[in-house]
Amino acid sequence: MTTAKQPAVETYTTLPYRLVLDINALDMTEDQFFKLCSDNDDLRLELTAKRELIIMPPAGAITSGRNSELHGQMYIWARQDGSGKTFESSVGFTLPNGAVLSPDASWMLWSRWNALTEAEQVRFPHISPDFVIELRSPSDRLTVAQSKMVQYMENGVRLGWLIDPQNKRVYVYRQDQPVETLEEPDTVSGDPLLPGFVLEMQRIW
Amino acid sequence: MVATRLLASDAPYPFRFPLNISAVDMTEERLLQLSSDNGDLRLELTAKKELIIMSPAGGMTGWRSGQVGFQLGTWAKRDGTGIGLGSSTGFVLPNGAIYAPYASWIPRSWWDTLSKEERDGFAHRSPDFLVELRSEWDDSAIFQDKMTEYLENGTLLGWLIDFPERLVHIYRPGQPVEILEEPDTVSGDPVLPGFVLELRELWQGI
Repeated sequence: MTTAKQPAVETYTTLPYRLVLDINALDMTEDQFFKLCSDNDDLRLELTAKRELIIMPPAGAITSGRNSELHGQMYIWARQDGSGKTFESSVGFTLPNGAVLSPDASWMLWSRWNALTEAEQVRFPHISPDFVIELRSPSDRLTVAQSKMVQYMENGVRLGWLIDPQNKRVYVYRQDQPVETLEEPDTVSGDPLLPGFVLEMQRIW
Repeated sequence: MVATRLLASDAPYPFRFPLNISAVDMTEERLLQLSSDNGDLRLELTAKKELIIMSPAGGMTGWRSGQVGFQLGTWAKRDGTGIGLGSSTGFVLPNGAIYAPYASWIPRSWWDTLSKEERDGFAHRSPDFLVELRSEWDDSAIFQDKMTEYLENGTLLGWLIDFPERLVHIYRPGQPVEILEEPDTVSGDPVLPGFVLELRELWQGI
């Protein structure tokens, strides 16, 4: 970032909130996508099932703080519970539909994690987490965040929470059930999939 | 269901940013296809294999670009020794970069050697003459580096018109950059004999 040939920091702020690039022309392999992500570690990249590259600027500080809080609460519960493993937002999961997505926080049963090969574990493993939390950032469109949740559920995620801090709402997604909308909840419970996990929302609002 | 497509036109202002694409073997064919698949974006490739992703130009830049292209094209047609090209033309520079300057000129003697297929693809040379326009959203240093790169790859004359600073930077091989403050006109002599770009209206805007 310091050499003259590099764009100034201001140039990055001119990136729109979220950019979609159709990369079918690139015939990108999984290895190449993994390298692309590490070559551009100042950006957040996801891949859709239609081979669109989703390019997102780094999260703002408020969003990052909220992310840290919700991952922290989940991590503390998961360590005591012992049945699963948590992931923070830099993870990439390759879903059955081919999309590579990064939930803001996620959890997977140890039994499923341990069934992966080590080669899978160090990359973007071909597995859907059991539980995901997405946090809507001020620049995210609600419809985009909601369609991402639907995609998780269609690809085997068992429980999903979409947290919308602007409207103080939590959308709860479960398999084969309509989406439940919680208005300004104080807590959200993960029962029965995550027994005893209660997310305290005051610290996130 | 996939994520809703957010078009570049939803961006609050024009943008330009680099994506390191060295993970992929970026051929010309792929860049052409990529550009065609993402018609709402303008794409360039640097010699360091960064994909430069740009939104459509803002209205004022589009108008200025059209005015420059019109003046250059009118002169080129009358002059007859070369052809003026508009802002969507991709040039493959000898160093591997693929850039699309706002306006450019190439000699007819070279154009006439190309096959029809070659004329439909990117132009494999640095343009003899080109104009780049800097708007308030653009980083000046990026454009200055790019002008130097054009010269290193064979360009004979380059003008960087910096609208926010109201300057014209004139680049010629082996000479220091000449900077003119809000000139009424700039002369293309001797590379483009008799071409004079009228700038008064462009500075004023519309």
